[in-house]
This record gives sequence, structure tokens and C-alpha cells, in this order.
Amino acid sequence: MSDRTLLIAFPKGRLGDELIPKLAGTPLALDTEALKSRVLQIPTATPGVAVLLLKGADLPRYVAAGVASLGIVGSDTLDEMDMDLLELADLGFGACRLSLCARGGVTLEALRAKPHLRLATKFPKATEAWLSREDLTAELVPLSSSAELAPLLGLADAIVDLVQTGGTLRAHGLVETAVLGRSSARLVAARGAYLSEPSRIRPLAELLVKALVQG
Amino acid sequence: MPVRTPHFPDLLFGSAARLRHWEGALMALLASHGYRELHPSLVLREAIPGGALRFFDGDDLVALRWDFTMALAGVLARGFPLPPPRVSYAGAVFRRPLQPWEAVERFEVGCERIQPEGESSEEADLELAKLLMAIPGVLGLKSAILHMGHAALVRRPLEAEGIFGDLAKEVVTALSRRAPHRVKEVLDGHPSAARLVAHAEALLSELNGPGTLDALAASPYAELLHGERLHMERTLRSLLPILPPHLELRVDLAEVAGLDFYTGPTLRLWAPGAQQELAAGGRYDSLFPGLGRPWQAAGFCVRLSRLLDLAETRPDLFELPQ
Repeated sequence: MSDRTLLIAFPKGRLGDELIPKLAGTPLALDTEALKSRVLQIPTATPGVAVLLLKGADLPRYVAAGVASLGIVGSDTLDEMDMDLLELADLGFGACRLSLCARGGVTLEALRAKPHLRLATKFPKATEAWLSREDLTAELVPLSSSAELAPLLGLADAIVDLVQTGGTLRAHGLVETAVLGRSSARLVAARGAYLSEPSRIRPLAELLVKALVQG
Repeated sequence: MPVRTPHFPDLLFGSAARLRHWEGALMALLASHGYRELHPSLVLREAIPGGALRFFDGDDLVALRWDFTMALAGVLARGFPLPPPRVSYAGAVFRRPLQPWEAVERFEVGCERIQPEGESSEEADLELAKLLMAIPGVLGLKSAILHMGHAALVRRPLEAEGIFGDLAKEVVTALSRRAPHRVKEVLDGHPSAARLVAHAEALLSELNGPGTLDALAASPYAELLHGERLHMERTLRSLLPILPPHLELRVDLAEVAGLDFYTGPTLRLWAPGAQQELAAGGRYDSLFPGLGRPWQAAGFCVRLSRLLDLAETRPDLFELPQ
């Protein structure tokens, strides 16, 4: 790939699993052989355009620094990170709720009444904003995965986490007690690339929106 | 919490020579148009913003110069009964970086065009635009793009709807991200939400040449912004015939960077593929009245540190040195 290969950052995991099949048959379809390998830079059906497969939390950094010109990432991740990038479209898919979840039978009022509330989350910024809106204080327990275990094992009174279908919550005997916000996939762009080379970036951005929103 | 290591780059031979050359060439250009250099002290003993680099000198909290325009405005408002019309500056400013890759010490060259209250500002704006158009040639950039915006395109509709403070900041942040869906989220439930979302969509619909101004017709505030549109049309009519080769002029209606500072037309210089703007400026008529002087002002700043980085990472964007 040449130095001028245009890179688009795609998230690995749930959002990526939903995204990649939507691009099949489009000019941005990913090379299936490369996808089966462990390679993280995948050519697309358009010469000169390749996709980087990145962890969601790392993705905005690659785009903000201009390494990738475009990217797709959940708005929950964007809201947690103060990155200078453009957010060109709400792609609609990957919709989920950011919710306060506790063990079955524990109500929001019971949590409010706790003199020392402990919340486990990988979304500290959104959680702090909600606590501030609700005029509550809490100890935040930072976790990066498997937050559902925290209330079950006594690490926290409740968790703030993404909920899509609620299946994982139910499997752990947890229930949603409040919805803090909503998240969906967003098309982001590097400010510099988009503003200095719009003729190169905009057609690709439009192609992605067409394939992912209208397709 | 993000961990940020302060970035204090040293300039080695090639970069140091380039800095010296560019600084000299740009100051000569400004001097040839009547701009006289002022050099405010590197150490400030006055109200200090959070982004400045601060330290104690004995019992005194002092800061390093963090912005030339602010430092110069202080010098001019304190020491001059009438404004010197054209001022230039060159040197370093020191600022805590917002992004981890930004350097703390940044080299800049720039100019200020100051006028007494009531004088027409249109000629001064044109003078600055013409100067900025000459900058890519002086720097040896093979091609460049000049973005023309106008702070009032966002400011006036917000003021007309009575939106100020945090809500206004959130709308501006959403526009800065070029995200009309975020504008909608931020204004959810506000009586003017539909109008302002339609306005945001109009501002963000185009990013191109002079025809971009037609997008304003779709805005519910088209009439309110008629004067600004005429001003931008006149500026374009004056600038397009004298546009140097390899410089593209684009109208960017959604330009909102520095909106709390700029009050009128804004200009930003980019190179194709550059990650950050290389020069920026505009009209900021509220600066001197805030310091007790009824003067209007506009200016621009060439960000030499970004240009030095660009010359290292993308030498193909520059002409070979003579």
C-alpha cells in the first residue's frame, strides 16, 4: 500500500460485526481473504482505500491524529473521549442504551438513598455528568470489561454500562434502573483531511453513508 | 484520566534554519505593507488564563506569553492614545497543549490591523485577506487552500433566539464537529430547535467555491444574515480575480473555531493533506472595547511550528529550497 493510501478505521467487536456485512458488494467491501487472516489493515474493493481494524477505544485517536481519514465508532466512545474530530453522520445502527443497572429488586430510590454509592463503569465521563444532573455523588470504580460481575460480587452497588437487548443483564440477574443516554454508530472524520482535501474524503464519506444508512 | 507528557521539541539544524528563513521572509512581507513590529515581553504579570505556562518568581505568579494578540492588545491599550494602524509580531508563545501531540512552545508570525471606531472595516479585511493570500508563496508551499467564513453566521442566529452561555457553547461544539444530528440532540425541546437545526444543515451542506453562499438561502435566518452574505460576496468578488496560482479559495459557512473571539469574517489557510490549519485570523471587534479602547481590530497569525512539522512529515508539499 502506498503512503497515500486512504485509511478508514473500523471498530472490532459488536459494532464491527454489524458493520462489515453491510458493506458486502459495495466499493468498500473488505477483502475476505485478508479478513480471515490476523492482519489488521485490510484492502477494500476500491484501490487506494484500506480499512484498519481497531479497538473502539483506540479508534478516535487514529482519526483525530489524521492517521485514518474516516472512522466508524459508537457515540458512547466519542462522548467519553475529548477528541478533536468531525462527526459527519449518525449511522443509526448499533443502537443501545447507556443504563444504570443493579441487581433485581434494587430500585433507583434505594441507590439514591445509599450514603456511599459505588458505581462500576467504563464510562466515567457520562456517569459523572448523570450524577451531576441528578445531584448525587458516588465513588466510581473504573472497569474495562465484564462490568456485570461487579454488583454480583460486591465490587459495586450498581453499574453504568451499554445495554442493547438486555440478554447479558438478565443472565446475571441485573435490571435497568435508569437510562442515562443513547448510543449509535457515528461516521467520524479527521478534521485536517476533511477540510484540506474534501474532494478526496467527501465521496468516500457519502459512499459509507449510502451503504450503511440507505443500503 | 489521559496522561499527557509535555512536548518541548528542540529544533535541529534544518528546522532552525527554516524557522529563521520563514520568520525573516514573512516579517519582510509585512514590513513592505507598512506593518511595524512590536515585541511584547515574554513574561506576563497580569490576569492569566488557565492554558498559560505559569510559575512563581519569588512571591509573584507570572506566566509566559501565551498569545501575541492578547499581549499586544494589553501593550497598545495601556500605552497608546490612538491605535497604530498596522502592527506585526514574531516569536514564541507557550501554551498547555489541548492535544497530546501539540508542542508547548510554538513559533508564530502575525499581524494586527487596528482602526478607530466607526471607520469602515471592509478595506482592512480585504488588505488582510490579500496578505494571507501571499503567504503560501512566501513559505514555498506548492498549493494551499484558503477557507473564508464569518463568525456572525452562527453567532447572530443564536443571539436572535436568546441562546447564550453553556447551551450556545454546546451548539457551537456540535457545529464544530460538523454534526447537525448533535445540534438536534443539544437543542431537543428548545422552542427554536427546528429553526436552528435547519440553519445548521444549511451551513454544513456545502464546502466549496463562491456558490456555497447560495446554501444560506435555505436557512430560516437568510434575511437576518443578508448583510453578512453581501459582505462575503463583495470580498469574493475582490479576491477571486487576484487569486495566485495554486491557491484555492473556499467558502466555509460552518467555520466556528474561535467563535467566542471572532466577531466578523474569518480566514484559515490549509495545505492539502495537512492535519491542522497553517494560518488563521479574522475580525475581533470586541477585544479593544473590553480593554477600554473604542477600537476595531482584525489580524492573522501564521503558525510556524505547524509548518515546521509539515515540512518534516510532508516535504512533498513544499518547493525545493533555492
